[in-house]
Amino acid sequence: MELFRYSRSIYGGGDQLIGASWDLLPWLVGAAVAFIILHAILNALAKRRGHGSP
Amino acid sequence: MTELATGKWQTMTDRSQRVIRHRRVDRLYHWLMAISVIVLTATAFLPIYGVKFAWLDIHWITGVGLAALVLIHVVRAIVWQDWRNMWIGMTDLRDIWRSVYRLLGGRRAIRSLPGKYDAAQKLYHFGVAIVVLAVVGSGLLMLLKIDTPLWRRNPYWFSSDTWGIIYVIHDLTAMAIVAIVIIHIYFSLHPDQWYLARSMLRGWISRKEYSEHHDAARWKA
Repeated sequence: MELFRYSRSIYGGGDQLIGASWDLLPWLVGAAVAFIILHAILNALAKRRGHGSP
Repeated sequence: MTELATGKWQTMTDRSQRVIRHRRVDRLYHWLMAISVIVLTATAFLPIYGVKFAWLDIHWITGVGLAALVLIHVVRAIVWQDWRNMWIGMTDLRDIWRSVYRLLGGRRAIRSLPGKYDAAQKLYHFGVAIVVLAVVGSGLLMLLKIDTPLWRRNPYWFSSDTWGIIYVIHDLTAMAIVAIVIIHIYFSLHPDQWYLARSMLRGWISRKEYSEHHDAARWKA
């Protein structure tokens, strides 16, 4: 997975940084979903123990 | 007694049992910001995923609108609101520690009530503030690269390397906002938080909700 996007200059030289890779978006969405699932599990466990919301 | 039998008295009683949490101007700010973020996210990412349309004008105009909203919010929070309601202090750090301790099974941890915002909400706001300021700041700089009715483009203001860093900041923070919005929607739909979601629509929480969920010493309503 690429972290950044590059373009090649028509005048030669090295690759030019032009932004972050859009491949990161599904990972960030996945991290958000993972956080939600983790929170829901911990919340349910805390309620079962009678501690209320974490 | 006559009024007691009528709905008028009931309405007055209900109103007296309400605690104002978000004033109309703050709710308006919240929902305008929400609309801006949705429009900006859609105009940023739909074209990347193949939905082709003239996105640039909608994107930059909405972005300038969001920048104005953020500026108004910052000024209002400092001048007219009590910014300490959102400040992360030692008490909040203690609350976070107690929450973690309880999660790990600690039964002796005291459960303390928060002020207007709990520690998690303050941390979330802090994260959102950094991300939004970064995306707005980098976005305003990127306006130098486009012609608008108000100014001519000047892409030579920065070197190519600097532009690359500005784009990386804008892209990363824009993608982070998608994750932040998903988490925000989850909490706003969470049954434990419905009274807060209602307060962002109607402005108030009930006196009962206030005493159940908040420490009156930390939030004097």
